[in-house]
Amino acid sequence: MKVITTPITDADVQGLKVGDMIYISGYIYTGRDAVLPKIEKDMDAGRLPEMGIDLQGGVIFHTAVSPAGTGPTSSNKLEIEASIAPLSRGGIKLHLGKGKLKAETVAALQEYNAFYAVIPPVTALLESKVSSREVMAYPEEGMEAFHRLYVHEFPCVVAAVHGRSIYD
Amino acid sequence: MDERIVKLVCDTLVAAGSTFRPDQKEAYRRAMKNESGEIARWCLATTLENAEVAEKNRGPLCDDTGIPHLFLELGPNRALTGELMESIQEGVRQGLRTLPGRPMAIKGSDTQRLDQSGGLDEDSGALAPAPLLVKNVEEDVMRLYVLMTGGGPAIRGITHRVFHKHNAKVVADEIIARAKEGVAMLGCSPCTLAVGIGRSQYEATALMLEAMAKGNFNEQTEMEQYITDEVNKTGVGPLGLGGDTSVLATFMKVGPQRASGVRVVALRPCCCFEPRCASVEL
Repeated sequence: MKVITTPITDADVQGLKVGDMIYISGYIYTGRDAVLPKIEKDMDAGRLPEMGIDLQGGVIFHTAVSPAGTGPTSSNKLEIEASIAPLSRGGIKLHLGKGKLKAETVAALQEYNAFYAVIPPVTALLESKVSSREVMAYPEEGMEAFHRLYVHEFPCVVAAVHGRSIYD
Repeated sequence: MDERIVKLVCDTLVAAGSTFRPDQKEAYRRAMKNESGEIARWCLATTLENAEVAEKNRGPLCDDTGIPHLFLELGPNRALTGELMESIQEGVRQGLRTLPGRPMAIKGSDTQRLDQSGGLDEDSGALAPAPLLVKNVEEDVMRLYVLMTGGGPAIRGITHRVFHKHNAKVVADEIIARAKEGVAMLGCSPCTLAVGIGRSQYEATALMLEAMAKGNFNEQTEMEQYITDEVNKTGVGPLGLGGDTSVLATFMKVGPQRASGVRVVALRPCCCFEPRCASVEL
């Protein structure tokens, strides 16, 4: 399986196709319903640099981070799916989660040369692949705060890229 | 407080949240043999590998560690006392802290708990279990089943009436239609379909919980197999990425029925780790 290391480049995305099984390594961000709309607002207000957050070439893993570990929540939840287009515009290259996305979301990914991958909800395995975790923003949200993880070879399947979806 | 009971319940909750049962592992191995697609086989193998790591570490199978649901079978010479209930509740608290469960109890008033504005309790043990379900049985035993139920299947589950038209196949086909929709949207397939059929929403849901507690992947009735086979024709596959295994099995419990044209069906498309269940004799 191919290993992609963050920050992800345009060339990395160009080389992918739907159904590719890949590993992701490096720093990734996490967020779900509670914080992704807040990140979008702070991005639009230009506040992310002062918060120490750089979205360029980044990954958003749709998960909570708790003592129980991490694992994907459904990416087609309202606030989560709605964040995919604007955060791709802001530089995010990979949205990592589970579940089918709408056609307009798949089109937005294509517009910004970003992609979506499905990661199995294998919390016990993923725990062995996370070497650091830190809260980057909104600590009041607890396990739903915006975190940054350092991960080694998270396994996933490319589910939407270049206007195509594995669910079609 | 009975410390022996507390310890037994604590250990059982940890087992429920971290362990695949032998028949569940067999079901995965069978599915891997039958799958034709590379991605589907990889998803099944990764899920099974995750279960082996979780069991070895006695840690969570999934980060959504679930809401504890308790089902107690009570024999003719056994008594359930208030003290025993307290010991069971304490065992649940300690089990949640040991697993550890995801700290997801919402604090605050009715309104704050609805809109989640009261914040989260940092204590994994603060997560209250669902109300205890008790059933009298002929066997002289007090057996507790601990089930950990995740949020995804709760979103995709449905409890609703079926007009049966005096034909059991009508009920089965409606279950299939509802299951196809739920399984396709869940994302964490392959599912195990838990079904309870009763005279009210309460009874149907209680029967569904019993089906989750007592179902066996190696034992399928003709109707359960029919439902499984029909839903598998959708090709949703593991993680919704396509394949032959959308459903591993169906666990169905049919209770007493009303002299009426209606049946109430509770259906839960249990995720790839469910039913997360373990039992203990107290």
